[in-house]
Amino acid sequence: MEQKIAEILAAICGAGPEEIEPELALFEEGLLDSFAAIQLVMELEDAFGVSLDMASLPRESIATPAAIARLIREKLG
Amino acid sequence: MLVLEQLKFFAKTDRIALVNREETLSYRELDARSNAFAAWLLNTFGADRSPVVICGDKETDLLCCLFGALKSGRAYVPIDSVVPEGRAGQIIGDVKPRVVVDFTGRVPDCGAVVLSPADLAPLLGGSAAPISRQYWVGDAGPAYILFTSGSTGRPKGVPITAGNLDAFCRGLLPYYPADGGVVLHQVSYSFDVSGCAVYAGISRGMTLFTVDHAMTGNLQELFAALGESGLTLWVSTPSFGELCAQSRGFSQELLPRLRQFLFCGEVLPHTLCDTLAERFPAARILNTYGPTEATVLVTADEITEEMRRDSRTIPIGRAIDGVTLQLERDGAEVTGEEQPGELLILGPTVGPGYFGRPDLTEKAFFTDPTTGLRGYRTGDLCYQRNGLYYYCGRADNQLKLNGYRIELEDVEENLQKLPNIRRAAVVPVRDGDGKVQYLAAFLLLREEDGLTPLKRAIALKKQAAAYLPAYMIPRKMTAVESFPLNVNGKIDRKALAASLEGTP
Repeated sequence: MEQKIAEILAAICGAGPEEIEPELALFEEGLLDSFAAIQLVMELEDAFGVSLDMASLPRESIATPAAIARLIREKLG
Repeated sequence: MLVLEQLKFFAKTDRIALVNREETLSYRELDARSNAFAAWLLNTFGADRSPVVICGDKETDLLCCLFGALKSGRAYVPIDSVVPEGRAGQIIGDVKPRVVVDFTGRVPDCGAVVLSPADLAPLLGGSAAPISRQYWVGDAGPAYILFTSGSTGRPKGVPITAGNLDAFCRGLLPYYPADGGVVLHQVSYSFDVSGCAVYAGISRGMTLFTVDHAMTGNLQELFAALGESGLTLWVSTPSFGELCAQSRGFSQELLPRLRQFLFCGEVLPHTLCDTLAERFPAARILNTYGPTEATVLVTADEITEEMRRDSRTIPIGRAIDGVTLQLERDGAEVTGEEQPGELLILGPTVGPGYFGRPDLTEKAFFTDPTTGLRGYRTGDLCYQRNGLYYYCGRADNQLKLNGYRIELEDVEENLQKLPNIRRAAVVPVRDGDGKVQYLAAFLLLREEDGLTPLKRAIALKKQAAAYLPAYMIPRKMTAVESFPLNVNGKIDRKALAASLEGTP
């Protein structure tokens, strides 16, 4: 799962997946804005078959690759 | 000026002009506070009618200052709080204001009187007699000057007169509810689509429901606020609509009184229309189009089920009342159906030209010799069918990203100011509807920086923030050894964009 998340983030940021470290601060480092976040959420929904709703997701839940992995695990039950 | 007449009229009622988080501003208060600001301007600067610069986001008093400037016969120049200091400084340098209203606390010393919110409070709270019409901005006088992206890397000013705005209101108001209601006030003051709330909305006695930058960036908070808003008319770019529609909670249940969406500023995708039609069965969708130079919007039409099912792009609509449209190719008028040409706009909403730039004005604006109408060449390629216009692209490198108008050269010029960038090529990456999804920059570095691609992108984005607002900073920053060239020996932007197709 972490690998797949890294690949999605790498594609959005234009970097290599090996560079996406678990605690990378995606918003603070300027890698995500509101519009890129929507794109991220849609890619995550496709990749993991989960349903994510931006209006009920606090920003912290997608603020780092590690947080995203926690979120997906929780959604997958 | 129509909006000032209407403000005066509604000030005699108990209506609310603006809701801004916990604050409300009645029409009476808006009228009184704008009178007080106008009186201060008239007393302090007399016959000197230099424009008033206003830097901020969606502060309640910003609206009072804006109408105060108009009542005192002065244009205002809005600069959004997201614009970096240097770029704001260039605008202030061009405008040479006597007074700057600063809600951001970061306007540098510029030779003008700078008013902070603390300075404003006593000034707007003072009592002032109504300002007589003779002082108001006259028909031909500029009401605002908006600065948009310029291809030289410097923002370019577009003045719009009181007469232009009256013509805009007359053309748009037939599409508005007959009286009152609540209109979304999310679009930045520095983007003219905000005029759908500020000019058309106030002219109809509507309540402006404010969504500021912080709320736009926090959907949880936004949805909670929307649920309490009683919104009847939605105004936004399609991108902001898509941002909200990603959440399933964005439906008639959240906004039970909503009866109309008005979209402006960029391509309206089929997918958004379909989603909204399904989730908001009681609301109609209006698509509109227009450049800043011709005052907010010049076409409009309701998007029907038939248009949604049609495989063509969603039409931008028909000319609003008072506006004449023409298509032109190779200097001759195109009259056939479905024949593309450059769109020319003629009529009373066309502005006087560019601020302090007669060279640019000469190229894009004209006066039609037979009708005497003012005209503007949009650079937008369109065709028409059964009186409906369809947008099919740009003749140059200007584009719309999330509703923001951007010249690619402006981004490139500013990236080339960064210490280690020798040359930058910026390209838009589009979706299936042709709507721009994001910008990507390809960069020739001056010297090897030893950084990994991610670290380099992070560093360059931080540096770029000194010159460009966040929405103009490319999502991807890729260092390359060389650029692909086309047959003319120019950078092959199509090849660069193609290299990113299918990536998010």
